[in-house]
Amino acid sequence: MDKVSLAEDANRDPFAAAAVEAVLDGYQTLPGVRDEMMGADGRPRAHWLPFLTALAELGPQEVRRRFGAADRYLRDSGVFYRVYDDKGGGERPWALSHIPLLLDKADWDSLAAGLVERAQLLEALLADLYGPARLVEQGALPAAAVAGSPEFLRPMVGTLPRGGKFLRFYAADVGRGPDGRWWVLSDRTQAPSGVGYALENRLAMSRALPDISRTMRMDRLAGFFQGFRTSLLKLDRTGEGRVGLMTPGALNETYFEHALLARYMGFSLVEGEDLTVRGDALYVRTVAGLKRVDVVLRRLDADFADPLELNARSRLGVPGLAHVARIGGVALANALGSGLVEAPALMAFLPRLAIKLLGRPLALPHVGTWWCGQGAERAQVMEHLDELVVASAFGTPVPGIGRRGSVLGADLNPQERRQLSAVMARRGADLVGQDVARISTMPVWTGDKLTPRPFTLRVFLAATEEGWTVMPGGFCRISERLDARAFSIQRGDRSADVWVLADREVPATTLLPSPENVRVRRSSGTLPSRSADNLFWLGRYVERAEGTLRLVRALVGRLAETEPASSPLVLRLITLLSSWGAMPRDFAGASPGRYAIAALTRHDLPGGLPQVVKSARAAASVIRDRFSPDAWRALVDLEACLKAPVPTAPTEADAHERADAALRIIAAFSGLASENMNRLTGWRFLELGRRIERGMALLRFARTFAEQGAPRGALDVLLQLADSQITYRSRYVVIEARGPVLDLVLLDPDNPRSLAFQVERIAAHLRVLPGRDPDEPPPRSERIVARMRADLTAATAESFDIEDFDALEGDLAQLSDEIAAHYFIQGPAADIAWPGQG
Amino acid sequence: MLYDIRQTTTYLYGGQVRVARQVLRMTPVDRPHHQRVLSHSLSTDPGASEMEQGLDFFGNAIAWLTLDTPHDRLEISTHSRVEVKAAPLPDLQASLMVDAVREAAFASTDLGPGSPVHGLYASRSIPLDPAITDWTAESCAPDRPILAAAFEVMERIYTDFAYEPGATDVTTLPHEAFLAKRGVCQDFAHVMIAGLRGLGLSARYVSGYLRTVPPAGQERLAGSDATHAWAEVWCGEDLGWIGLDPTNAIAAGNDHIILAIGRDYADVAPVDGVIVASGEHLLAVGVDVVPVERPHAVAPAP
Repeated sequence: MDKVSLAEDANRDPFAAAAVEAVLDGYQTLPGVRDEMMGADGRPRAHWLPFLTALAELGPQEVRRRFGAADRYLRDSGVFYRVYDDKGGGERPWALSHIPLLLDKADWDSLAAGLVERAQLLEALLADLYGPARLVEQGALPAAAVAGSPEFLRPMVGTLPRGGKFLRFYAADVGRGPDGRWWVLSDRTQAPSGVGYALENRLAMSRALPDISRTMRMDRLAGFFQGFRTSLLKLDRTGEGRVGLMTPGALNETYFEHALLARYMGFSLVEGEDLTVRGDALYVRTVAGLKRVDVVLRRLDADFADPLELNARSRLGVPGLAHVARIGGVALANALGSGLVEAPALMAFLPRLAIKLLGRPLALPHVGTWWCGQGAERAQVMEHLDELVVASAFGTPVPGIGRRGSVLGADLNPQERRQLSAVMARRGADLVGQDVARISTMPVWTGDKLTPRPFTLRVFLAATEEGWTVMPGGFCRISERLDARAFSIQRGDRSADVWVLADREVPATTLLPSPENVRVRRSSGTLPSRSADNLFWLGRYVERAEGTLRLVRALVGRLAETEPASSPLVLRLITLLSSWGAMPRDFAGASPGRYAIAALTRHDLPGGLPQVVKSARAAASVIRDRFSPDAWRALVDLEACLKAPVPTAPTEADAHERADAALRIIAAFSGLASENMNRLTGWRFLELGRRIERGMALLRFARTFAEQGAPRGALDVLLQLADSQITYRSRYVVIEARGPVLDLVLLDPDNPRSLAFQVERIAAHLRVLPGRDPDEPPPRSERIVARMRADLTAATAESFDIEDFDALEGDLAQLSDEIAAHYFIQGPAADIAWPGQG
Repeated sequence: MLYDIRQTTTYLYGGQVRVARQVLRMTPVDRPHHQRVLSHSLSTDPGASEMEQGLDFFGNAIAWLTLDTPHDRLEISTHSRVEVKAAPLPDLQASLMVDAVREAAFASTDLGPGSPVHGLYASRSIPLDPAITDWTAESCAPDRPILAAAFEVMERIYTDFAYEPGATDVTTLPHEAFLAKRGVCQDFAHVMIAGLRGLGLSARYVSGYLRTVPPAGQERLAGSDATHAWAEVWCGEDLGWIGLDPTNAIAAGNDHIILAIGRDYADVAPVDGVIVASGEHLLAVGVDVVPVERPHAVAPAP
């Protein structure tokens, strides 16, 4: 119907047509399966032609280059997906399939309308099941089909969520059948994931194909997010505009997405331990004390949300959250218990329930499902076993259907069939039979040509004041196998962007509902204590890395040319690195170059650079929402720089070069942090960490190289470590003398590398941190700094001795502890055990 | 029978606890056909800064409390007076057949707290286990009356399993206790429930007390020096839930006081809580369930 024949197109531009033919060369669709790009007549569908033509015009070489750029973008932005079964939870780089799924507007609109209707049905169903349960009482839905779900949260029965809605964010996985219709494969109502990855895919594609994506007139995504954000902010009764995005934490498989969404929507990324219940409300622990959180976008599964009334073993939740949610003290999106309607058992009843609840049948079909808790359905499923999939009815493990929770009836041998039959007779309610969905294929780029692959599409819907809105696009998951059935992205599949092609010009900024409400504030007082903690330690680790690198560089720098390996200066450097934990104890008398390479590359050294940088990245990884992507990239680069392979026989020059490169990246990080981070509380904690660590390093350097009777050349090394040689030379024409060197390195308030300068900065940051009561005496941290300032002002450089260095270093250590005690979360939570029953 | 029940639970912490948040399920409520609560009090030392009381889904009384005074010792005391008048055990042979009961449970149109559907599925502390199911099936032929079948399962647990405090702990799963053939009341109730559920029958968990002082000339029942636990089996619409105590091989009767009912131990744990503290903690529980000599007439209600 809507197909333009290639021949027709070729009349207009024969060269373009020939080029498109070349792109399509060898594209073999699967028998009996619909293909999104290629029509049944073997010609591309009309809405694909402009894209294919553009692709053909670029030529294979340029296409490869463009797609490489998209991959680079994703890698550089640190988009990742955590894989659970990896030891220690590895991060897997994001795999983007570069050919977007193209959908024409009319096709999309009917899919979207069908999903809106489905969302309304699921909302009505939840309201009934957690409310009067009339559908059960009237026999439209067996009680056992509800009670079997672990997401039927009994503590939430009988209450209506704040704001009156269970669902505020809903996603459905859909696939297109051979008949061209879209079918719903499953519903996601708990805490749907993927929307952030969809956003990143879009950004990567517009990076790779800016010209094409501009001329193709696709619907934009931003309006959807703004509408959703506005609707959540409307629920906030505090007027402070604070929405918490609750995450299980950095070990979650989709943590990257949580951080991304928090940053993108201006929400606070919070973990369970950041939150606390007081009275009838929820609060976040911030550096300025407890702050009310009235709205939470929940990405933590409900079962883990409250150890008091839900899973008692959860360490990720907030004690008392269920209680606060029940009395309306907080609005949760989605409400606790919303996951109930994800159960395949309920899907079996939706067609009947739609007529009861909506007064009409569902326009959009879903995969045929039969719940085996009923005799007639059970018999039906056993009779047609060869054509069906048998799956867990409630997403819980069921013995006899494999670890993946579903099995194809046709794959069962006679013995397994008998087993299944026995399970069915006793506990059929744990199982459903489902039609085998045959889903359509779309093209993927395999280096130089296109090949078809099956895919499913996840579509996202948000509840707004104006009703449900659908994100015009989605998250497309592509299977690597040609067998078009259930699959999971956990097993290494690719994803693709989804372009809904508009039939007319798309305005650059989408019309938003009530734009005056799109106001996000992030005052300095809302920094969660945990974020402050991580920023502080990030600062300390980065600075520690810098100090270690300076030591390494000194070891293999000028010193190596002028001093023998056994010189006292070299020994002092090695001793210092050793006390730092950056030196192996097992090789004595090695060359400075070998020592340097060990400090740079060995993972087993607690103070070696790989470990220090790893700690920095770990601290940064849990606060990515507060962090510019560029600064993050610098940390990734730093790790890569230190990980790069070393020559088999590394020289001192190799070590020097690497230390230099790493220092340059740290300088870039510092620049990005000071230029790109708002001068808010978070930045101050990062700064505090750096300044304290730098001060401690300086004091250790001074202790080693400026003690009375230090060997010749030691003061020069100290100047080098403190990066103050040039200043010294410009100030004093004489050679290094102890007094002037110590004055410059420790006391000169104008030298940004001096101890006095660090202390001044620390004092300035502490003064403006929130949560200080002017009527109270200053906190201990400020008193320590005041004492240090007084000591440094009164001191003369010549009089410093080892005790002074030690005392000052002790002050800094104490200061660090005081800051932690005052601003960070104390101690781990433990559960109170009960000995069990007699 | 009228009982005076005192329970004292003491936590000793290794260090100062700044904030503790807990839910307590230590308050008995009226249970039709079994017990009436005449009085109840609950107190903590130190006192709670916030305390709220209410009923959970299954109708159990629960208290949410917050303690925000630093403490290294917490004592929870309850004192209840409960009158127990247990319904007599129905004729075992007159109950519905196993197959019919299963069918009725799965077809139930009741989602309320008393419905059999809540006892049909695996739950947090009771995953289903094929070995327990097969063992239970030996007593549960499809055409056998449910109560006779369940009674036999109870008696077999009593005979085959050793009552051995300390052999298991609060986190022991039914299949572990089943393999070891030993445990305490919680394990026996879990095993019994797991087996019945494996067969598609509905069973639930009861936490409660047992009288500590036996009637003259009788032996003291096992499980009476702490909170006790037993199982209830759903026997069809007419008979409803029948309590069976596999630790003592008797039906729940006038010696049993019900504290809370749920799908398993996790639903009715007397205390769930989270504290912020370092170090270990110790716990002591003391229970006294003493029959009260009743004056001739009950005082009229005011």
